[in-house]
Amino acid sequence: MIRFESVTAIYPGHTARALDDVDVLVDEGEFVFLVGESGSGKSTFLRLVLREMKAARGKVYVAGKDVGRLRWGVPKHRRRVGTVFQDFRLLPTKTVAQNVAFALQVIGKPRAQIQQLVPETLELVGLSGMGQRLPDELSGGEQQRVAIARAFVNRPQILIADEPTGNLDPHTSDEIMGLLDRINRTGTTVLMATHDVGVVDQMRKRVVELDGGRVVRDQLRGVYGHSY
Amino acid sequence: MHLRYVFSETRTGLRRNVSMSIALIVTIFVSLTLVGMGLLLNSQADKAERFWGDKLQITVFMCNANSQVDTCEGEVTAAQKATIESTIAASPEVDSFYFQGKERAFETWKEVYLSQDSEQQEIYSTVTADDMQESYWIKLKDPEQFQGIKAALGEEQGVAAVRDLREVLKPIYFWMTAMKWGAIAVAGFLLIAAIMQVGNTIRMAAYARRKEIGIMRLVGASRLYISLPFLIETLVAATIGVALAAAAMLTFMYVVIYGMLRPTSTIVEWVDWQDSFLAIGGVAALGLALTLLPTLLMTRKYLKV
Repeated sequence: MIRFESVTAIYPGHTARALDDVDVLVDEGEFVFLVGESGSGKSTFLRLVLREMKAARGKVYVAGKDVGRLRWGVPKHRRRVGTVFQDFRLLPTKTVAQNVAFALQVIGKPRAQIQQLVPETLELVGLSGMGQRLPDELSGGEQQRVAIARAFVNRPQILIADEPTGNLDPHTSDEIMGLLDRINRTGTTVLMATHDVGVVDQMRKRVVELDGGRVVRDQLRGVYGHSY
Repeated sequence: MHLRYVFSETRTGLRRNVSMSIALIVTIFVSLTLVGMGLLLNSQADKAERFWGDKLQITVFMCNANSQVDTCEGEVTAAQKATIESTIAASPEVDSFYFQGKERAFETWKEVYLSQDSEQQEIYSTVTADDMQESYWIKLKDPEQFQGIKAALGEEQGVAAVRDLREVLKPIYFWMTAMKWGAIAVAGFLLIAAIMQVGNTIRMAAYARRKEIGIMRLVGASRLYISLPFLIETLVAATIGVALAAAAMLTFMYVVIYGMLRPTSTIVEWVDWQDSFLAIGGVAALGLALTLLPTLLMTRKYLKV
């Protein structure tokens, strides 16, 4: 589903390599943690998958497509990838349902489909009946659920999460991880960058560790630290 | 595509900064009006050129009984006329020429003066065909090459005056050209200001909507969909600006050209409605191009997909 082939990434104006000759293969339906310190290259990895940036060398394949060669196809590519962030990024003036519907409206989904998908997805993330609330009226965990609903409402093949539990307490984090796990079980590939030791250790999923832009560990059913 | 969203975004965009939108519209309006005036002046100059170019470029007036010039001793004689005519015919600068008798001159005179000023017809009624001058109307091969023939004819006996239309028209041409370029230069500066204001408007709008734009990019909204509200926003401003400029030009045509100049001054053919429609068309195209191009560039810059 996601394949990195000797990928090197350099930010414009920098000489240091944000990613250095990275080879990673993520199969369809996998749940992968991307761990490592700040600046290790986790976010760069996600940005490459999203085609927010291009690899300086090597190739990035997502869903069989060489994303480095996409031009006008970038928006279409992003419709196959849902994204969740640490800071939720909800629109404060729109209700929960409107926030989720927004993701479908702006890609031109028909109204009937939106009216069906939005409540369905809100129910999936455990927010049924909260559609008319504004983001301010929700807890952090609930806001992240809205963000997940928005990322998942178009049923992407891949869900990318960048520190989704970074702003949440451990209990709420567990709930969010449960939700991501449930989404993963629907066949969606989940790629999650995190610092959260507890979350990684508890889930026992595949762990890819980055350090200085290189993959230093790739372990099935791994934990956060070096405890092979 | 959900155009409702696009239109509501456009509305908020225009309302978000009313003063900015008004400034943009006014700048577009004033600069385009000036461009339009420049275009009108240009067609006026063309028209005048054609009008006078069609006329003969040098007129040689014969002496009549009242002529007070050295080369005149009363009415021009047949022998003098023959000499003058052979001088004209022999000149390499002359393309063609014709003779105009007193009767024809009188007709033209009546046409020019009496038709314009009916109140003074009585005063003019004392004028007769005999007061007119006979003349040769010469068309030159090259309107710029007139010195030789002018000098030669100026010394002939029986010639009262050699009038070169170019010389008469020179100051008019000069001022028309000066006004045209002046209008275009001022319009040029204003257009630069208009382009920059379009850029600023988009920068501000993009900043105000950065969250929405970020999410739209993330969920895969197309570039067109993201930039459409911006495009429409500037398009609305441009359309209003163009409409105002067109209204200003049509008012000018109605009040000044058709209301004042055309009825009173027939020495030249004035610009007509068709010219003004052409100028408005040019202004509209320019207005759209000048707002759409910076919008497309700016949205590329600020709304990078």
